[in-house]
Amino acid sequence: MSDILLEVDELSKKFCRRLKRSLYYGITDIARQAVGKPVSTALRPEEFWAVKEVSFKVSPGEIISVVGANGSGKTTMMRMIAGIYKPTKGAINYPVPLKVTPVFALNVGLRNEFTGLENIKLKAAIFGMTEAELKRKLDFIIDFSELEYALATPVGNYSSGMRARLSYSVAIATEPDLFIIDEALAVGDSLFKTKCYEHLGEYVQEKERAVLYVTNRIRKVMALANRVLVMRGGRLLQDSRDATAALEYYINDIVGDKMTDDLKEMKLKKIRHFEM
Amino acid sequence: MRQFIGKIKSWWYLVKQLTQVEIIGMYKKSFLGMAWMFILPILAVIIWVVLNGAGVVNPGETDIPYPAYVLLSTSIWGFFLEAYKSTSNLLTKNGRMLIMSEVPLEPLLMQKVVVHLINFIIPFAVNLIVLLAFGVRFSAMALLFPVSLIPLLLLGMAIGMVVAIFRVIMVDVANLVDEGMKLLMFLTPIVYTPKITASWLGVIVDYNPLTYLIGFSRDLLTSGTLFSPVEYLVFSGVSLVLVVLSFRFLVKSSTMVLERLINN
Repeated sequence: MSDILLEVDELSKKFCRRLKRSLYYGITDIARQAVGKPVSTALRPEEFWAVKEVSFKVSPGEIISVVGANGSGKTTMMRMIAGIYKPTKGAINYPVPLKVTPVFALNVGLRNEFTGLENIKLKAAIFGMTEAELKRKLDFIIDFSELEYALATPVGNYSSGMRARLSYSVAIATEPDLFIIDEALAVGDSLFKTKCYEHLGEYVQEKERAVLYVTNRIRKVMALANRVLVMRGGRLLQDSRDATAALEYYINDIVGDKMTDDLKEMKLKKIRHFEM
Repeated sequence: MRQFIGKIKSWWYLVKQLTQVEIIGMYKKSFLGMAWMFILPILAVIIWVVLNGAGVVNPGETDIPYPAYVLLSTSIWGFFLEAYKSTSNLLTKNGRMLIMSEVPLEPLLMQKVVVHLINFIIPFAVNLIVLLAFGVRFSAMALLFPVSLIPLLLLGMAIGMVVAIFRVIMVDVANLVDEGMKLLMFLTPIVYTPKITASWLGVIVDYNPLTYLIGFSRDLLTSGTLFSPVEYLVFSGVSLVLVVLSFRFLVKSSTMVLERLINN
């Protein structure tokens, strides 16, 4: 029994606004690293903090929604947690070894000229499954994706919803302890979405698991999250177990300035009177 | 090294799947399909036979018929060049996958090697038949030929892995090396023989590692003799060291490079 799955401690990441300069910094950083010198962690000209001193802990059973306007650092933070980007400062700790499956773009790796079944195999391999593991889980994937009738069809002829269902089903079949989903949660038509929500809800209860997902959709937060993180300008401004309160804060204090009063009212109403 | 093998083992299914997709995908939309693997080398032979017959090219003395010599040399050169090309595109070609999922570099690198070997073996088998037709006879030493190619593979990958980093953050360097490879082909005894003594070219050929790495494999196959074995062993050792250093450089630098890979 562990009560913490993931610990994010003072996590920061900087990026550069200008391409040429970013490449130049890349060259100098790599050169410094190659000769064993420390790489700069302070801001240089044209650099900014994409994520700044974010800390939080994830416990089993949590379904955490990360909310924030475009460019608030959500994806960057998720990529660091998934180990794709290296933090400039701070640390990411997994107290016990976990199976982490990150999904940043559902369609990545899919090959249009290959069939649905061939793509399931390819996608499973990309998610790190072995051949034996896939053999065990193939029925589940086909069943969950509801694509049995289209397995022999080239994926190029799939609708975007079908493609997303295929990829999502393979991702969930990897049975991650920590499932990281960036703008790819609950895909397909509304029936399939509802099925995904229900499935994830049960999924985190079965074992010591958690889900961390990025979204800007009120519906996706309200339907699923039992904890909400609100980000702006790379900082974590709110961390709440009350999804309604967190979203109200987000609408009123973070994105409210850019909305008309009517739109704001409508969104708040949607939050307060949410029904599946 | 042990880590590398461990990663390859646990991601072997990915290596297999990506290889299948790449090989089958290459010919999936072509009507002639896999036949292209045979057509291209045959065309290459015809071109050299015609050029030779017309007296356009005037090589040095060769032990085997000139077209056979060029055919064999170019395919060994191609083995080196393709090892370079496929590894040097590792990050740019797989950029999306590397940023969007947690696939490590090792299986992608391994997959490049496997595809490279498959792409080499079939045309090379055609070449061997052509060589037989030219009257070339192979000795038992020829069995060592595949092993003798390993240093070429390592050297091509060593250069490729460093260039892969530069292809993202400083494409100028990558372009220069790409162009340099074309020049290098003419500075290596491929369409002419190592016996060349023409002033400056002779000096370059003498110091060019590829002279020995390619020449050794070629002579092993055609005459069963050892071409400059000492130089071959020295440059083989150098290739092995370089590939280890390059791989470490690639792995250490890759996260810094990937966050700058924005053209995906």
